[in-house]
Amino acid sequence: MAGEAISSSNPPPAKKKRSLPGTPDPEAEVIALSPKTLLATNRFLCEICGKGFQRDQNLQLHRRGHNLPWKLRQRTSKEPRKRVYVCPEKSCVHHHPSRALGDLTGIKKHFCRKHGEKKWKCDKCSKRYAVQSDCKAHSKTCGTREYRCDCGAVFSRRDSFITHRAFCDALAEETARVAASNMSRLTSICNGNFSFTSDLMRSNIANNFSGAISNTTMTEAEMVGHARRELSLWMGEGDHTENLSKRNDLLNPHQSKPLSTDDLFGNPFASRYPNQLSSIYSDELTSNALPTSRMKETENPQSLLLSVPSRSSTQHQHQHQQMAMTPDVSATALLQKAALIGLNASCATPLSCFETKSQECNFRFLSNSSLLDVNHSSLATLSGNTMDNSTLPNPLTRVYPTRHLMIQKDDEPGGETRDFLGVDAPTICASSWNGWV
Amino acid sequence: MMLSTENMQNPHPHYHQTFAGCLELELDDPNATERWAAELLRECATAISENDSGKLHHLLWMLNELASPYGDCEQKLASYFLQALFCKATELGEHCYKTSLAVAERWRSFESTRKVILKFQEASPWTTFGHVASNGAILEAFEGEAKLHIIDISNTYCTQWPTLLEALATRNDDTPHLRLTVVATVGMGGSVMDEIGQRMEKFARLMGVPFEFRVIRNLTRLDELKYEEFGLREGEAVAVNCVGALRRVSVQERDAFLGMLSRLLPRVVTVVEEEADFTSCKGEFVSCFEECLRFYTMYFEMLEESFAPTSNERLALERECSKSIVSVLACDGHETGDCERREKGRQWCQRLMESFSPSSFSDDVVDDLKALLRRYRPGWSLVPAEGDASGLYLTWKQEPAVWACAWKP
Repeated sequence: MAGEAISSSNPPPAKKKRSLPGTPDPEAEVIALSPKTLLATNRFLCEICGKGFQRDQNLQLHRRGHNLPWKLRQRTSKEPRKRVYVCPEKSCVHHHPSRALGDLTGIKKHFCRKHGEKKWKCDKCSKRYAVQSDCKAHSKTCGTREYRCDCGAVFSRRDSFITHRAFCDALAEETARVAASNMSRLTSICNGNFSFTSDLMRSNIANNFSGAISNTTMTEAEMVGHARRELSLWMGEGDHTENLSKRNDLLNPHQSKPLSTDDLFGNPFASRYPNQLSSIYSDELTSNALPTSRMKETENPQSLLLSVPSRSSTQHQHQHQQMAMTPDVSATALLQKAALIGLNASCATPLSCFETKSQECNFRFLSNSSLLDVNHSSLATLSGNTMDNSTLPNPLTRVYPTRHLMIQKDDEPGGETRDFLGVDAPTICASSWNGWV
Repeated sequence: MMLSTENMQNPHPHYHQTFAGCLELELDDPNATERWAAELLRECATAISENDSGKLHHLLWMLNELASPYGDCEQKLASYFLQALFCKATELGEHCYKTSLAVAERWRSFESTRKVILKFQEASPWTTFGHVASNGAILEAFEGEAKLHIIDISNTYCTQWPTLLEALATRNDDTPHLRLTVVATVGMGGSVMDEIGQRMEKFARLMGVPFEFRVIRNLTRLDELKYEEFGLREGEAVAVNCVGALRRVSVQERDAFLGMLSRLLPRVVTVVEEEADFTSCKGEFVSCFEECLRFYTMYFEMLEESFAPTSNERLALERECSKSIVSVLACDGHETGDCERREKGRQWCQRLMESFSPSSFSDDVVDDLKALLRRYRPGWSLVPAEGDASGLYLTWKQEPAVWACAWKP
């Protein structure tokens, strides 16, 4: 891809393919400009009168006005060599020539955004920007954007949305829902092969993310944080002494090696960017390591997506794209933080936890979880379920009627202790799995 | 002055005629009817202070006829002030206050509290003004610190903190660790704070902010708060956030309380209080009454204009006021539960100057506040304090309503 750009010097190619930011042509000349130069606004100086201009085109237009003899009118021969620019900030990932940016405007903007002072401010919400064009672009959409919470409430103001979200029951329910859906994934996983697993988990993550997204304001980091939180909550659950026998055969065999955190979480970046995998978890990750475009990759596994609660199913595609395009905050920084925190929180031995926890992906587990104890007041209002053995009104039947219906479809005789998939033997697992999709 | 209940049934005929006549005359004059409640209430308060039981009977009877907590602003003011004046006249203030507290406790729940306060914040910047100012000052004072400890003594049930958590998560490259210690007096509903704590923890996890939450409870009153209870740790930067808190300290204990706070060596102390003076007039009933009436008239009118006409949340907020009004007008100072004697910004400044020095809000914070006010209905504006007072005022129709100020050691 990079080769194309340099070899086509005569007729320009029909469409120059944009390479990933910070992966420059290896034969380009590396230029390191000083911070002062990068921040300067009038870089282009007329050699005749000394007037400064922001853009080279403007300078050339101006020079014509000086009536120069033809020879001097030509610009000093521009080097045919392509130039790339590095960031002077040592801690920045773009400091290294291998990650230089190819465009002067680009490096200037980058430097301002990441390392510069935020001088420009939005009138309406007083959000601050270092680059004026960023600020202008924001002002156009500021106040017009709507923030939608999972519970259905819509806000025009970000601060009221945030406050609402912190206290919203949807936040609490979501934790329960994600925990439950992770459970169901796991039983099938243990059954099948692991390669399928990682895709599944990835799609699971995507599922949970999309369910949690509300109109672009949920960032990738929040989602990763979500997923990590679910696992850690899961891990932290107490003992369950119910009916281990039914589930043990599902879980015990086929465990040739313990599942790593990555496999379980289905690290979305794992197979795509193997080089970046370690960087997610490493301390030296700098803010530029994960450009948001990478999240787009998670759109692909959607074909593998299991059906999720109806209320989020229609929103996947749209929200994925939105999420990928406009993260609200420095997503990469958040992602990094969430990863670090999540790692600390999560259990070191996931496998053992699964054996005890996921015996029945069912509501009894959830009813025993300390997590849900918190939400008893909201659970109490939910309608009762048809499960004989549940001690609590089942939140999931209420929230996910479609899921429950699917279980019923399986025509299980004597369905007393139905698990999530409506099965109690490994062999049927696969078919009811299809019943999901 | 005790009133017997029989007199209530049969008001003196002479006064009855006179007052009825007065009322009719007043009704003809359109300007007079606008503030009929204030007039009657004022007469009533005067009657109490003059020990004029006949007149008092009459006025109470009339007010009772005209008042209603479900009517317009005048009727509401009449209703709630009538209750307080009645308590004052019959010396039932303490009893009434205790009963109101008990009733409020009984019906309080996380859901109802949340609903009321969030709706209020949607409709009016009354509380969010203080939140934005305080958060701004706190974030600036905490710049560069890795271990933060916020001591929150406020009456807004932690609704201030989600935006601060979000700012911590997004503003800095290294998210600091935040400890939040909330002081809840008995009147604030223990189980509600537990629920709130859990939500805060979840939200902090969502934001990716390392977080610790703790409640100091079982305090009948704020004066009982001791330095040791905060459990300060080495190396942490402390901020004290007092929103609607200082007024809940008994008047005579206020200076000592502030002294105790200064021993915590906080980076910043943020104070937000409603602009009213129920303290310096403590001994004089009528002036106290006037100030009370002035403040609550503004408050009720503000509520009326901010909410929809049939809002249950507004009703709940109005009911909250009745406790305060009874406490200020009809209780003697041996208050059970929270004191409600507000002081004005200037007065608080004088107290705070003993242990702290004022820290002005930065231009960024002021910009944020202006942007905040723009998002609400017109009528609100920001006015810097002048003279010997520091801080900022939120004004409603040019009248100062809420005062916010930041202090450093």
